[in-house]
Amino acid sequence: MKSKNLFGFLINPFTRIAGWQAFGIGLLCVVVMGVLGSFGGVAYDGVIDMHLMHLSLEKSLLFLGIDVAFLVLVMWITAMIVSKTYRFIDILGTMTLAKAPLIVLAIAGFFTTTPDMKAIYSDPYVIFSSVSFVVFMVLTMPIIVWNIALMYNALKVSCDVKGSKLTIAFIVALFVAEVLSKIVLYVIA
Amino acid sequence: MYICAINYRIMLPTNCPSCHEQLQVKCLKCEHCGTEVNGSYTLPLLAQLSEDDQQFILRFIKSSGSLKEMSAHMKLSYPTVRNLLNDVIKKIERYEK
Repeated sequence: MKSKNLFGFLINPFTRIAGWQAFGIGLLCVVVMGVLGSFGGVAYDGVIDMHLMHLSLEKSLLFLGIDVAFLVLVMWITAMIVSKTYRFIDILGTMTLAKAPLIVLAIAGFFTTTPDMKAIYSDPYVIFSSVSFVVFMVLTMPIIVWNIALMYNALKVSCDVKGSKLTIAFIVALFVAEVLSKIVLYVIA
Repeated sequence: MYICAINYRIMLPTNCPSCHEQLQVKCLKCEHCGTEVNGSYTLPLLAQLSEDDQQFILRFIKSSGSLKEMSAHMKLSYPTVRNLLNDVIKKIERYEK
């Protein structure tokens, strides 16, 4: 029962934490993630995107800032369309905190050796020569799923929307946020 | 030897255990003289709600309608308490129809 409660909390902490409190914790996680990502060679170049790439500390934080800003902006517009009862601070806080699981990948970046990209293009099986890279790839999947589940629950709790309306709104919003953040990051970088 | 202590709390049933339809009041009794009144009375709107919903409304009134205070008391986030309130409002609106 206890582990079930813990799992529930990890998937949806927003029933207990939201608003300014969530924003504070989320912002701290995002800053730590940006610093670790910069030194660990993990770049968050999109709302649900990340790549093994070395960025300067400023760029790493800027990329994450753009990710969070576009995620919040698009989810806020979505809330205006689908919900009557929402607060901007809840969307800002919960969406920022939803980024927290990605910190695991920033830490994993320190222990990952990236194979030579040219070698991968000529022979994709080269990636299996680096065990740490394979482990990183395998780890990426559940972390991204966790991140998406958190964003989904963030919208659900912040906007009081349920069922197919929530699912469709979330998928469209996430897609739009990802595309917009990619365009802006491409222009900046 | 085991001693079991069970605390029974008698609650007013609001829905039929068989078909889940809303129950009606059939009999009222004066505890003082024993007079019984039989009929078919609809439950008051608030009594039609579940016990959890009634507790929620009581807490809402006691906290002077402050969702912030309620969220602190219930150890839930503000939007979660607001969503619970929205659910109760929806139920009341459904019963009013």
